[in-house]
Amino acid sequence: MSNAFVYVTYIYATPQKVWDAITKPEFAHKYWMHYNVSDWKKGSRWEHQNGDHSGKVMIDGTVLESDPPRRLVTTWTRPDKSKEPSRVTYDIAEYNPGLVCLTVTHDQLEHDPGMAESVSGGWPKVLSNLKSFVETGKAENIWLIKNKG
Amino acid sequence: MAKLTTEPTIYVTYIATTPEKCWQALTDAKFSAQYFFGQKIEGDWREGGKIRYRTADGGEHIEGEILACDPPRLLRFTWRIVGMPALRHLPDCIVSYRLEAAGEGVIRLTMLEEHPEGIDQRLLGGGRSGWPAILSGLKSLLETGAVPKITPPTPPQEMLDYMKEHGA
Repeated sequence: MSNAFVYVTYIYATPQKVWDAITKPEFAHKYWMHYNVSDWKKGSRWEHQNGDHSGKVMIDGTVLESDPPRRLVTTWTRPDKSKEPSRVTYDIAEYNPGLVCLTVTHDQLEHDPGMAESVSGGWPKVLSNLKSFVETGKAENIWLIKNKG
Repeated sequence: MAKLTTEPTIYVTYIATTPEKCWQALTDAKFSAQYFFGQKIEGDWREGGKIRYRTADGGEHIEGEILACDPPRLLRFTWRIVGMPALRHLPDCIVSYRLEAAGEGVIRLTMLEEHPEGIDQRLLGGGRSGWPAILSGLKSLLETGAVPKITPPTPPQEMLDYMKEHGA
């Protein structure tokens, strides 16, 4: 089995709405409890900042590809640089008019098994919550959702 | 030689609903017709009972036996694809829906597709493309009350190749 985590979700929205939910800090804050901060240009830095307004950088990295509103690829790095970065790809495809198929692939995790485990539990929560937020305007407080039963 | 695999497929989604409402949406044809590619579920909701998914025209698509029925927590059943001639010969797989409270007003639904007897690995892509569409529709239905149907994703080419080799 390859060392990649892949999650697919279908969202009743336009690609632009899904792109905005990922890249606009105030939107990401609603369902992810973090701000995603960058100008989202190829080569730019991005930061995943704690949503408590401390501005603390929880994850950072570099924008590798940016094709709004269809595709975004970034590195995913621990701020202390204790491990090799991994990589996240967001593919935002219009499946039917008004329906997006969002595929998130988190790979290059070979050097960081702890991160692999953490993101495999985290992405289903984050992306379920993103879908709810985009479709209904409401999202759960992600910190209150339990990982295990 | 075909490469056989017993690798399972798992899909987890969090839904703002109750386990009872999600259980109803999983087991009532009025709901399944709205998110399961138009298919209607029917079942004899007890261990050992039969379960079926029928296409909109009433044809049998999936049939199986219920291995565990513990509403609103766990439904586990064998899964035989009877509606597609090129896949009729496959060994049973086992599908489970597990529903757990995950917080205030939110549940975690885990779909597990297991292959106790190995299948050609080219077939795994069928479930891996289909389940996200089905369960995304289910989540939207429960959270928004109504959803336009999602058309079934085209199976991966390698699965179509397999079906062609088996008479499709």
